[in-house]
Amino acid sequence: MKFLLALAWKNLSRHRKRTIITAIAIATGIAMYIWVDSMLLGLEKESERNLVWYETASAKIMEKDFWKNIDYLPLKNSFIPEKDLIGAVEDSGFTWTPRISFLVEMYDSEGSLPVKMIGIDPKRDESVFRLKETLSRGKYLEKGKDEVLIGKNLARDLHVDVGDVVIVKTRSRLGAFQTMDLLVTGIMDCPNPQINNGVAFIPIDVANRALRMEGRVTEMALHFPEWKSPEKKVAELQRKLSGMQGTESPGGKNLVVESWRELGKDYVAIAEGKRGATKIILFLIFIIAAVGISNTMLMALYERMGEIGMMRAMGMNDREVKLSFLLEAGGIGFIGSLIGIALGAVLSFYMVNYGIDFTGMIGDMDVGYRTSGLMRGAWDLKVFVVAFVFGIVASMLVALVPTSRALKMEITECLRSEL
Amino acid sequence: MVRVVDVKKDYHVGKTVVNALRGVTLEVKEGEFISIAGPSGSGKTTLLNLIGCLDKATEGEIFIDDEAVAEKNKKELALLRRRKLGFVFQSFNLIPVLTAYENVSFSLSLLGLSDREIRDRTMKILEEVGLGGLERRFPAELSGGQQQRVAIARALVKEPELVLADEPTANLDSKTGKDILELMAGLNEKHEITFIFSTHDPMVMDFARRLVLLHDGRIVEEKSREA
Repeated sequence: MKFLLALAWKNLSRHRKRTIITAIAIATGIAMYIWVDSMLLGLEKESERNLVWYETASAKIMEKDFWKNIDYLPLKNSFIPEKDLIGAVEDSGFTWTPRISFLVEMYDSEGSLPVKMIGIDPKRDESVFRLKETLSRGKYLEKGKDEVLIGKNLARDLHVDVGDVVIVKTRSRLGAFQTMDLLVTGIMDCPNPQINNGVAFIPIDVANRALRMEGRVTEMALHFPEWKSPEKKVAELQRKLSGMQGTESPGGKNLVVESWRELGKDYVAIAEGKRGATKIILFLIFIIAAVGISNTMLMALYERMGEIGMMRAMGMNDREVKLSFLLEAGGIGFIGSLIGIALGAVLSFYMVNYGIDFTGMIGDMDVGYRTSGLMRGAWDLKVFVVAFVFGIVASMLVALVPTSRALKMEITECLRSEL
Repeated sequence: MVRVVDVKKDYHVGKTVVNALRGVTLEVKEGEFISIAGPSGSGKTTLLNLIGCLDKATEGEIFIDDEAVAEKNKKELALLRRRKLGFVFQSFNLIPVLTAYENVSFSLSLLGLSDREIRDRTMKILEEVGLGGLERRFPAELSGGQQQRVAIARALVKEPELVLADEPTANLDSKTGKDILELMAGLNEKHEITFIFSTHDPMVMDFARRLVLLHDGRIVEEKSREA
């Protein structure tokens, strides 16, 4: 074994040009694999973050029928966040904020647009959402004022800016038409395109008054630090709520807790679907890398048929010849993988810290992901390990084919090849 | 040492069958220095390859130390070549990435000897074939004669029972060729190693103590210098 290792090392160090070219082919494939994976993972992570930070929170408590008819946001299916409910929520370690979500028609001088409007508690909302950080112009909402905060794309579509007044038409909880004149106090530039394109925010007390809510809310948005795996926590709270029989909370049993995964299931479904496409992309990169590796390895081996013949003539058995070439291929794989993961780390570092701005290319297009045009990467250490091992194993596997073929040839046939 | 009994070897070239050997019977005793001579295509290389267990006979049997090589599997044949046989080829067949020293010590590494023994034996044989001081050179840095000396050293360093040399002087000028033959003859006498070499060069035939003439795959004449 020591001798075979030494032989492999000599071949690697003395066929320097070939070693470098093959290692570069491997490194390129591996670096590409790591880079694309980082980009796709970054896209997914950022989407999830933007979904939770700006749209769904970690979870929401709603009336069962409100959740069932979520597309229509029926105000009649609202509830009062009574003390026992709040107690149950806070005891479970959640921070929360009340919200009133409803549909409106928003008018400008030229026409109107259907918009989802959300009444928020400007102070409390900050403990659950990060809307305030997205304010690009104007100022944030203040309690009691007839003001509205809108996304930059909606503002553009409505031809309004900070200081303009928009007219909003909706129906109150009791079904009566209601109009409001609202001053555009701020424009948001949110990394979640759904917020930018069609959502407006007003103070919750203004919504409460205008919609005759009498202290009712359509949802309680919840935040908890372990939001990435919400299932257990949500199920726990749901059990608590289901057990509540009190009179204070109107229909404790009718309340449901839904995690961000359920609330953003359109995104989750798209992400699941795209995960399949991602695998295909990664598989194609894998094929490109494997073809590159096998090509150079094949050439290297075929030009050494004579050497294989000589080794066999001198008494090396098939296993030893195979092992010596596999060790050599593994060595090239090791060098290539090492360079590849170093290169992949540099590319991932760039993607994580700077990213690539695709705004010019995709603009405001809604591609399902909750991200802006700036695509950032994410570190995926598992992929570094997988790519490293893959580089070595793939190199050895592709070397196996021509070596086995050479070993099937008669020794005399191998020897006829030039050394 | 070697017994070849009515050996035939056919090659298939497309649909044509080439009868390279048509029933060769030959006995080689220990310590012999024997030349297989004949024109190109007479079957010299084929016969050496069969004796060297590099190829399989179509018919007939070959015995080395009374053991039939046809009955051995691939692994056993490899072991036989490793322990008992040494090869010298017309085109030297040195491994280009290994130095003269490494090409020679390669055979000993396969035998699993200690580093010290490998070093001592390699240096000794290189000295003996006249390559002292050139052990660090790569094949490309050596002349044809020097490369063939490395090949001879590689074949002899493991002290095999039999050395098979296929036209060992064909790629060398006549003076270098003669030097190589003298070297081989000297080593044959000194180490009592059996040498079988093929040639079509009359000068080479003169060196042999026994000459076997092949023609169209058959032995047509045998001469012994002592006789």
